[in-house]
Amino acid sequence: MTIATEKTLAGPEPARSKVVDTAQYGLAAFLLVVGGVVLNDAAGLEKGFADQPVQPYAFGFVIGTVLVLLSVLLAVATWRGDVTEAEDGEDIDLTHGSDWATVAKLGVVFVIVVATISWLGWAIVGAFLFVGTARVLGSRTLILDIAIGTALSLLTWYGFYVGLGIPIPAGVLDGVL
Amino acid sequence: MTVVVAWSADEYGAAALAHGVAQAEQKHEDLVVVNVTRGDALVDRRYADDDEIARVTAAVKALGLEVRIAHGVVDDVAAAVVEEIRSTDATLAVVGIRHRSPVGKMLMGSVAQRIILDAPCPVLAVKPEAGTDLV
Amino acid sequence: MDLLLDGFATALTPTNLLFAVIGVLLGTAVGVLPGIGPAMTVALLLPVTYSVEPSSALIMFAGIYYGGMYGGSTTSILLNTPGESSSVVTALEGNKMAKNGRAAQALATAAIGSFIAGTIGTVLLVILAPNIADLVVKLGAPSYFAIMLLALFAVTAVLGSSKLRGFVALFLGLAIGLIGTTTGQARLTFGEAKLADGIDIVIVAVAIFAIGEALWVAAHLRRKPLDIIPVGQPWMSKSDWGRSWKPWLRGTAFGFPFGALPAGGAEVPTFLSYITERRLTKHPEEFGKGAIEGVAGPEAANNASAAGTLVPLLAIGLPTTATAAVILVAMQNYGLQPGPQFLDANPKLVWGLLASLFIANTLLLVINLPLAPVWAKLLQIPRPYLYAGILFFASLGAYSVNFDAFDLALLGVIGVLGLAMRRFGLPVLPLIIGVILGPRIEDQLTQALAISQGDVATLWSEPVAVVVYIVMALLLVGTVVAGRRAGAVQPDPENQNKQEVSA
Repeated sequence: MTIATEKTLAGPEPARSKVVDTAQYGLAAFLLVVGGVVLNDAAGLEKGFADQPVQPYAFGFVIGTVLVLLSVLLAVATWRGDVTEAEDGEDIDLTHGSDWATVAKLGVVFVIVVATISWLGWAIVGAFLFVGTARVLGSRTLILDIAIGTALSLLTWYGFYVGLGIPIPAGVLDGVL
Repeated sequence: MTVVVAWSADEYGAAALAHGVAQAEQKHEDLVVVNVTRGDALVDRRYADDDEIARVTAAVKALGLEVRIAHGVVDDVAAAVVEEIRSTDATLAVVGIRHRSPVGKMLMGSVAQRIILDAPCPVLAVKPEAGTDLV
Repeated sequence: MDLLLDGFATALTPTNLLFAVIGVLLGTAVGVLPGIGPAMTVALLLPVTYSVEPSSALIMFAGIYYGGMYGGSTTSILLNTPGESSSVVTALEGNKMAKNGRAAQALATAAIGSFIAGTIGTVLLVILAPNIADLVVKLGAPSYFAIMLLALFAVTAVLGSSKLRGFVALFLGLAIGLIGTTTGQARLTFGEAKLADGIDIVIVAVAIFAIGEALWVAAHLRRKPLDIIPVGQPWMSKSDWGRSWKPWLRGTAFGFPFGALPAGGAEVPTFLSYITERRLTKHPEEFGKGAIEGVAGPEAANNASAAGTLVPLLAIGLPTTATAAVILVAMQNYGLQPGPQFLDANPKLVWGLLASLFIANTLLLVINLPLAPVWAKLLQIPRPYLYAGILFFASLGAYSVNFDAFDLALLGVIGVLGLAMRRFGLPVLPLIIGVILGPRIEDQLTQALAISQGDVATLWSEPVAVVVYIVMALLLVGTVVAGRRAGAVQPDPENQNKQEVSA
């Protein structure tokens, strides 16, 4: 009874030594870029109409400036040893490192989906998405995966088309479905 | 030389364990109980908790048998059992089997079937019946 | 009262009743399932708003909200894995009770407490929402502007352990909210015509809640099964009833007002309820070992806070929790703008929704008490299918907005942002609220200044606005002081959160 239960509430052991979370500099840089883009965009806007008391660029300037400021604050906090507290959850095991390979594979599946959906249509691509992601996440029963994926994508396609009246394009299967 | 039992914490596992114990006693061999999981769901009822492991260990030891329990998370349950059979040079493996329709078999695959096909030693396939409970 | 009876007439039509049942079942299921919560579920179901009647859809969403609160308690008790932050406290005593063989009683007191708290909370909501709306309707744009600023500030600064990260999330959200041509000129569209209308909030919500979460889980998949405690039919003995009813009522009293406050949420009242019960109990020796009061109180508190959340949502149009924010998105998809006029303009819809809350609560009790063992079975779904399913429905939801691969690409990009936010501990709620409220704040400011012809003093010309600014200043001082004190006592701030949980 004590296997995992104790760990769940206590979370991972916090790193005691003073480590600098270098990845957080990346986040700070990202904020700096976003802030810069927002400021640059705001600077390119024309003055508003006479009936516009709030200039179109006003919010852009405020938000962009604050983003840059936050970027600096975050960089300073990181330098002073501020460490991220990554989000915990029911199905999350933070005691092991992050498995970015799995995430990258999911990304590849997703890119294929985006690239082919207009051509192949939801019924095929949806099934591919389910099978692909399930396999990346460790499913070993290929035939069952395909059966579930196909059933899901056909059911949702017909469900949206007939049940909700939302005509999802059929793609190459136009006329077949 | 050992008898390897593929044990799941349900009636099929109980049947396999009971027969495995009987065989080990008869052959005067040690018992190796394998209880592993892929760990791909939040809950796997066939995966025993520590209390059950302790109970089984105690019950088998009470019969005067040497027992080791392989307990943990693996990528492939059938392969883990077969690996245990090979590494302990087992003379017999015991698995519990359940009825499945042909379609169900095609979709779900079967751990028992793969053990039967892949094991280098004889495999005893047993079914649950009343009165075989060891623990 | 007549309005409420009319509301029951709306809610009890076969269609709406069906949607209520679906909502309650779905809500409980996702509350039980790991990795998926009510906010994500409502986000994934946003496509139904394109064709289903508003009243039916909102009734279903309300059912999901209430059901999710209930389902979260089931896993807390049986598995000691609080899925929602609001059921962390339930796990403290609930799981201990279950280990002592009292799982049935823990589930029963959670279910009945949720029912009672939800019902009382809904009664309060029915009484309060119209009155608050009547007050709010008299307010001008300056007061609205101030209230929305307060909501942004409170959600960001009060919740969460790191204020800095809260503000980072908020301003990223505000930046996303800038995209589009609402002011007459293209802002942040990068010349892309498809961005001219801004990024559909459906896509932002689905990406942040569903894709971000699924990717984050994929990177840290738990490999070891947890021990589940077998459960039979929930029931309680007479002494359990005697020990539960007062905590239920006290929990309700904590939960409702906190739910109704901006940034009140369910965490604080569940925690307060727990400490109160521990102090008042006649069985102090049982606390920490499975005291039924410690389940009854917090469970009532979290359901009452769900009802409380609907007060600002319906009366002012302010979302204070993630689920409420997504429900607001659904309303906006229907062209409905919750707020003071909302109740008068859509009486059938609003009262139907309120009546359906009573029905959802009753359904939760009658359906879920017998179904507890079935819900526990859901936990055996293999993770690959669970998360593949989430990604599948998320993509479907985003694709059905315009049937455009571009939207799917956006979904992926914002989903990666959602992943990064979880990696860096950025809270999700401020971002979503920023996306939703950012444009509305700009709108209110424009209105206020247009009426005053550019005179900035108008912003503090209304008494309500002044009060709100004072509250904000107090909050600011409070958080700074609290931050200082915490910093002085405890040099490393990353531990604060855990201390609160285990205290």
